[in-house]
Amino acid sequence: MFTFLIYPLTKLAVTAWSAETLSELTSSTLWQVTLRAGGQALLSVGLSLLIGIPIARVLFTYRFLGRGFILALVTVPFVLPTVVVALGFRALFGDAIPNGLILVVLAHAYINIAVVVRLVGAQWSTLDPRMEVTAATLGANPFRVFTSITLPALRNSIVLAACVVFIFSFSSLGIVVVLGDGSSTRTLEQVLLRSTSVLLDFPAALAAAILQLIVVSLVFFISARISRNEPRARVVLERERIGGRKTMFIVAVTCLVATVLVVSPIASILWSSVSSSGGVTLQWWSDLASTQNTRIGSPIAALSRSIGLALTTGVIAAILGGAIAIAVMSKKGFVVTLALIPLGVSAVTLGLGILLAFSRGSFDLRGTGTLIPITHALIAVPIVVAVATPSLRNVDPRRYFLALSLGAAPLRAWWTAFGTVFSGVMLAAGGLAAAVSLGEFGAATLLSRTDSPTVPVQIARLLSKPGESAFATAAVLSVILIIITMSLLLIVDRIESRKVIT
Amino acid sequence: MQTVQMITHESFVLSPSFVSDLREQGIDLQITSTGDAGTLTASSILAAGAPTADLLFGVDNTLATRATSEGVFDPYTSPELANALPEFAQDTQGGYLTPIDFGDVCINSDDTWFKQNNVVIPTTLEQLPEIANLLVVEDPATSSPGLAFLLATVARFGEAWPAYWEELRDGGVAVAGSWTDAYYSQFTLSGGDRPLVVSYATSPAAEIVFAEDASITEPTTSVLVDSCYRQVEYAGVLAGSENPEGARIVIDALLSRKVQEDIPLNMFVYPVRADATLPEVFTAFTPIISTSVSLPPETVNEELASLLDTWGTVMNR
Repeated sequence: MFTFLIYPLTKLAVTAWSAETLSELTSSTLWQVTLRAGGQALLSVGLSLLIGIPIARVLFTYRFLGRGFILALVTVPFVLPTVVVALGFRALFGDAIPNGLILVVLAHAYINIAVVVRLVGAQWSTLDPRMEVTAATLGANPFRVFTSITLPALRNSIVLAACVVFIFSFSSLGIVVVLGDGSSTRTLEQVLLRSTSVLLDFPAALAAAILQLIVVSLVFFISARISRNEPRARVVLERERIGGRKTMFIVAVTCLVATVLVVSPIASILWSSVSSSGGVTLQWWSDLASTQNTRIGSPIAALSRSIGLALTTGVIAAILGGAIAIAVMSKKGFVVTLALIPLGVSAVTLGLGILLAFSRGSFDLRGTGTLIPITHALIAVPIVVAVATPSLRNVDPRRYFLALSLGAAPLRAWWTAFGTVFSGVMLAAGGLAAAVSLGEFGAATLLSRTDSPTVPVQIARLLSKPGESAFATAAVLSVILIIITMSLLLIVDRIESRKVIT
Repeated sequence: MQTVQMITHESFVLSPSFVSDLREQGIDLQITSTGDAGTLTASSILAAGAPTADLLFGVDNTLATRATSEGVFDPYTSPELANALPEFAQDTQGGYLTPIDFGDVCINSDDTWFKQNNVVIPTTLEQLPEIANLLVVEDPATSSPGLAFLLATVARFGEAWPAYWEELRDGGVAVAGSWTDAYYSQFTLSGGDRPLVVSYATSPAAEIVFAEDASITEPTTSVLVDSCYRQVEYAGVLAGSENPEGARIVIDALLSRKVQEDIPLNMFVYPVRADATLPEVFTAFTPIISTSVSLPPETVNEELASLLDTWGTVMNR
């Protein structure tokens, strides 16, 4: 954490620091950008919660065929390269909604459905449904049950989800570049990009990076204040089977709506993978392995590289996630806050810092191929922690003492008390981190060896070249990326749910 | 076997023989890419004097002055430069850099659209304001071709460039955040509603090389020659390199005839070497444009920030 986060960032800050940074920090333009981006992020949070909470409710409190599939499907937008999402939104809404705030907020909500669904869902599945039933029996209408029983019980995960979505939207780059209007939707990240790679104005870039870190820390501080005093709830091991026509109808409609929401913006891209100016074709798929594509990089090589990276990242994140899980269970809460901080550091900043810190002299890690997985693990761990924390907090530490008092050796007692949750968290952490790694673009584009790009980097490179086959190959790779991500999440979900039931 | 580290941008592509030929000369070339040309230059300035590699390929004439003045490079001029086209033989940015390739950013037109709609394809920048609603450009603050086109108008109209952009704005020009969005969702060729787009001089050739149908032999897009801005890409030995000798050998190799002839179909730019043979698709459809404009790197370095600010004010962005 220190080595790969704080050291590179300090190194970058020291290198770029000058007296002008201070005067830049007081520039009114920068603060104006901060305020506007804050407003945009709040709208994105609102819409994400509005869409995500109902889906979380259905996916995490009912048991039905295809549940795992829908859960994996809603995670796809989160993993897709932003350039693909942005092009999809332009294709879907291009004529109806002009570039600007509305389009940006819609895209942010789209990308972050998975954050809300997974975070809120994880806590929802541990709620005791008898509370709601009791309230209903006592005469409360469904709306009142939801607002006075369910929502307060979900407060912690909703706050955490809002926090994560806020930070993603506040520091968004790819989406605001393509779907924004250049002024009202500008983010600090965009200022940062313009300062570093167009104007080469490092004091201004550093000022933007510092301001971003301040806002992010503030958001975490506020959310930590709101979500203290967690009510301890019972862990429900079985999800409810669907009973009654009405429930079945609600579940079916929600799943249908979720599928349409996820698929429609990327439908045009999916279609491009099997079509050309001449009509429907499978040529792009059969071209995939052929040498003809070497001019625009071998897609197969990119795929194997991405999968390799995802697995490595998964292992690193599982170990880190496990360590953090132990910290959470032993009530070292500050570790969680610390682990969440990388969320607020832009991938570009982190990538530049790591490049400066580890690519010369005795610290030359480039040749070892570990830079990207380490960076990916850093980016993924906060999400992993956010997902795992609610369920970890719900583990009753008294189980450990109970096992001890029944004569178990300390290690054995610890495993009895925490083992299931612990291994579940490590598995979920690994799976989710691997998915994040599959989709990560910002750091990979800075740290890739030229001859071995990852799939998202390859997609972006293809989409920056003219020519039908460049675009179509990018579409094919996007489809493959979706398939791999979904398979991965389905497998992890399957193992995990088996664990919980046994 | 000696190791040479080269740092470049993400658009760098050459045939694998580039690396294997160097290996035969006893050089193990390791290539790392770091974002676009701007990010690449930024990271090399941050690491000036204690570089992350031995040589850099991909700093362009927009940012060259800034990099050389910050002490990023050691002086070196390749002897191979004697074989370059006359306009590049002396173009060493003060003796620090060696030009390797050049390209043009130009407006592309979708000729099929113009034919079908009975509209005459524009041939000069002056004709654009009245049909600005047919044109999509990229935001110069986020896109490198967008910046090149802004600089083209500055080079052409001098002090009067903001007035030109006011006319484009009033005529309904569209501004995209990135080349990808402009070309792949707003250009009529890709199903958009703008038959004019700021792209590259070689895009029509790329459309043929990367066409689905190998029998397509003629591009359906063409270049508005009057709108072109010249971009030159350089390589240089990084100051503080651990292997400057090896770095020089690699720069010489980049100027060898074999590598120079490998450049066009990989990166869709032109080699600087005078005796390099261009591929047929280039000579037929995207011959070298002789009328391209460019601004002196020193001017760009001094005025870039204010140009972007003024452009933002004019375009309300």
